[in-house]
Amino acid sequence: MIRWRFIFRQINSSRKQALIFILCVSLSLLTLVSLGGFSNSVRQSMLKDARQLHAADIMIHTHYPASNTLLEIVNRYKSEGLAEAVLVHEFYSMARNTGREKSLLSELKVVEKGYPFYGTVVLKSGLDFSKILQAGRIIVEQNVLDRLQADIGDRLQIGSTELTIVDVVVSEPDRPVSFFSFGPRIFIAADDLEKIDLIKKGSRIHYNYLLKIHNQDMVDTLADELSDVAIEVQERVNTFRTAESGVKRFFENFLFFLNLIGIFTLLLAGIGIQAALYTLLRESNYTIAIMKSLGAGSAYIFLHFTVMIMLLGTVGTVLGLFFSYLLQLYFPVLFTGILPAHVTLTIAWDVVFEGLVLGTVVVGLFSYLPMRRLRNVKPALIFRKEVEATRNDLPHYASITLTILFFIGLAVWQLEDVKTGIYFVLGLLGLVAFTAIVTQVLLMLMKKRSPRLLTLRQAFRGLFRPKNATRSIIITLSASLAVIFSIYIIEQNLQSTFIQSYPPELPNAYFLDIQPSQKQEFSNILGEEPQYYPIIRARLTSINDRRINRKEERQRRRDNLAREFNLTYRDFLLDDERITEGNNLFGDLDQNSLGNGELPVSVLDFVAEIGDIKIGDLLVFNVQGIPLQARVVSMRTRTASRVRPFFYFVFPEKTLKDAPQTIFSAVKIDRQRLTMMQNRLAEQLPNVSVIDIGKTIEVLARIIQKLSSIIQFFTLFSIIAGLLIIISSVFATKLARIREAVYFKILGAGQGFVLQVFTYENLIVALICALQAGIISHVGSWAVCRWIFDVPYKPLPVATGIMILSTILLVITVGLSASLSILRQKPIGYLRDEGQE
Amino acid sequence: MSTNELEAQKISKSYTIDDRQIKVLDDISLLVSKGEVVVIEGKSGSGKSTLLSLLSGLDRPDSGKVIVNDRDITHLSEDELAPYRNRTIGYVFQSFHLVPSLTALENIMFPAELNNDPEAMEKAEGLLNRVELIDRKNNFPHQLSGGEKQRVAICRALVNSPQIVFADEPTGNLDSANGEIILNLLLELRSELDTTLLLATHSREISNLADRIVLLADGRIESYTDKVPE
Repeated sequence: MIRWRFIFRQINSSRKQALIFILCVSLSLLTLVSLGGFSNSVRQSMLKDARQLHAADIMIHTHYPASNTLLEIVNRYKSEGLAEAVLVHEFYSMARNTGREKSLLSELKVVEKGYPFYGTVVLKSGLDFSKILQAGRIIVEQNVLDRLQADIGDRLQIGSTELTIVDVVVSEPDRPVSFFSFGPRIFIAADDLEKIDLIKKGSRIHYNYLLKIHNQDMVDTLADELSDVAIEVQERVNTFRTAESGVKRFFENFLFFLNLIGIFTLLLAGIGIQAALYTLLRESNYTIAIMKSLGAGSAYIFLHFTVMIMLLGTVGTVLGLFFSYLLQLYFPVLFTGILPAHVTLTIAWDVVFEGLVLGTVVVGLFSYLPMRRLRNVKPALIFRKEVEATRNDLPHYASITLTILFFIGLAVWQLEDVKTGIYFVLGLLGLVAFTAIVTQVLLMLMKKRSPRLLTLRQAFRGLFRPKNATRSIIITLSASLAVIFSIYIIEQNLQSTFIQSYPPELPNAYFLDIQPSQKQEFSNILGEEPQYYPIIRARLTSINDRRINRKEERQRRRDNLAREFNLTYRDFLLDDERITEGNNLFGDLDQNSLGNGELPVSVLDFVAEIGDIKIGDLLVFNVQGIPLQARVVSMRTRTASRVRPFFYFVFPEKTLKDAPQTIFSAVKIDRQRLTMMQNRLAEQLPNVSVIDIGKTIEVLARIIQKLSSIIQFFTLFSIIAGLLIIISSVFATKLARIREAVYFKILGAGQGFVLQVFTYENLIVALICALQAGIISHVGSWAVCRWIFDVPYKPLPVATGIMILSTILLVITVGLSASLSILRQKPIGYLRDEGQE
Repeated sequence: MSTNELEAQKISKSYTIDDRQIKVLDDISLLVSKGEVVVIEGKSGSGKSTLLSLLSGLDRPDSGKVIVNDRDITHLSEDELAPYRNRTIGYVFQSFHLVPSLTALENIMFPAELNNDPEAMEKAEGLLNRVELIDRKNNFPHQLSGGEKQRVAICRALVNSPQIVFADEPTGNLDSANGEIILNLLLELRSELDTTLLLATHSREISNLADRIVLLADGRIESYTDKVPE
């Protein structure tokens, strides 16, 4: 029978530790559940507003004008009154303010009357979009006005004509305005498409045919009919329900990363749960010993403490769910600018249920080892204040294995990626294990040291005070600080490399969509002969007769094989390329090894890894509807910076030089000349787009900073776990600390002495945490900068110093605040209490 | 069945302190009959408390046997010992050892509740009445004086009407007036419940009331005295 009164009395007598335990449980759920709930809300909103998100019922997307068969069916739908249809062209081009001699790469959206079928394009004037956007007029994003120093009523040169700015777009249904883009938005009426004359052979144009179906029940049937005649690979037909949205994809990728942080917080909070529970149960040791001396059996005690833990765990879980909901309310502010507006926050009961299950499992897993210690509390403890050490037996190791498996399972479930899940958890455990080993070694060394300074010596001893959770504190704080430091250091390194000092030898301007016939004129404008990279746009359809599964490919988090590739031709290696397999690019090619109609191709190792492509494999590409067979004859790798142009598939010049192509060039050019170039190109070669890498990187940097601040926000919760363990540890050792303080005072020490001892103690803990976190984060960040981003590493000594000082300040403040009542303790009060006992 | 209720056969016990082994009891043998009042006397550190903890099954000897009611309890597991501690013995400690989170009444009820006694509360209240503490029944241990705590502890030891009561220096933490009250109370209740009593003390006053005195010195029995002369 369960004695509830005993359980409540026990909770009441250890209420501070119980509160810390509850907070650790709620903390463990906070990130994962709040993100889960928020993601659910966004998904629901997106699903609810899916028509708005795509502005239509059916969307046909292609990079070429739609095939005749497809157009015939669309026209039939229109004539039969089944549907309305509009064509939207999207592409990049230069916009030029002729009056100010300023040019800007912009994202043009040329729309027919009727766009959008769902949702609205909100204009600054508040007027109706369809009435405002007429031939000869354009509607622009505020950024266009700012950067071109233009006003409403000014005329901008776009392609071969000049158009008048009539309004500013505030939001459009199918793209958040502040989402990353190479250039700000300009809306153009379809009537002006011919006049601007920017659609050239091989240009990168998105053709979007949007259909509004009058009978909603027919959406899927009509979409199926369109899919059946669409050219495979080239023309993609989707309904608002099946379409992938870029926003959704970005959001899910970002949540994927935040979920990693959530799992990290869960692990550290788990350590917190365990530390708090060890302390809570240690406080109960005396009671347990008395109970046993009065005849209570292990089962009775285990049952009651299990019920107690379950009660506290439930409170913690419910509190965690409540905090998660509160936190979600703040998310729209936190995620401002990277998520679609008007996300309605809903309570997802499946997420709440998942949270409850997760809370129960976490409490169960992390409580098992502390609960096992109950067995070792013997009644004789009331005579001798010692507990037999636990021997690490099979159930002990089984529990640790189960915990690791749980985390791997959780990571795989959350990330929906087995390989990443396992690597992530193993990496995480590696980090925790590393900090645990270093901490253990440092503490062992300190235990043997006896500093001369009395206060410091007492502080050293204090670290090993029974019940002090020194090791848990250092491990959790070091690991969480290491992650926060790393994110900051990497972000700063990326900023300093690309923003403050963009590598001088690298190209800073990319020129796209140069027509082969414009090469000479382009060189003349540039005043030099740049390196030209021909681009033939194609899709990969099969590898060794194995068709590319486009749906599966699009699920990949990194690059995927379903997208359109830029093929190129040349007979030489670039400066930053090296052959890894094959004798050289194509030089030793044995024509006999190629089948009829097959072309040799050199493949970059990165894409080869994605598609498991090997030398000798047969790749089939689709170039504007024409199949192209290619046999892999060499593999290449890149040896230098990633901001240089690179190509996955390289063909010999003679094989592709006559294919439909555009030309791309990347040059290093000073800013003043670049502005001049932009203006001249806008005037003479208006179809050529210029990407100013400097400006683009500035935009990217702002986004990186925003994302990094969100990540740091979530990582903060793992630091709280560490701080909770500090508070728990101070509470747990309160009696011992009071005794020390009283003895010091009886022997003539002042309050200052006691304060100094406690300060040193916290300082030592803080220093170990900060230094460990500093070293781990620098090594980790260096590796990331060196091998992933390929940028020079700057150790940021000032920032590192500030981070170390902040850690010290934080730990000392929290540690001393929890000890205030101890410092104020009068010796006589303690002695009187002690005497009575 | 023999008349011996409790028997210690050559029991020894050592503790390790800072890598040093200290022998606290060495080769102790003892027979206690039903209803006897046995006082274990000795100086501080002579091993009195250790002997009581071994005889009561709260601790385990390194060697030798403890037999209660013809049953060897030496090698019983913790769970096998639990009912023995609950029903067969009662223990009064020098430092009271009341559960700090429970009230006086709840502390007394606790062993009876463990024994699933439906009259736990009535018995506990009856005992509290008997020791004149009924008005303090809802007080927590820290709200009671030393003498009150010990009276509660005695009630708790007796609530299941155990065969044997062990009392380890029950007056050691009390002033003489309170000590006398406690001692009288203990003896009265023992007599009322016909319980065997083993008392560890260094007080001559208590020894005067014993049927038998066992004198311990340096972990060994120095002498037995069957009846203390008046």
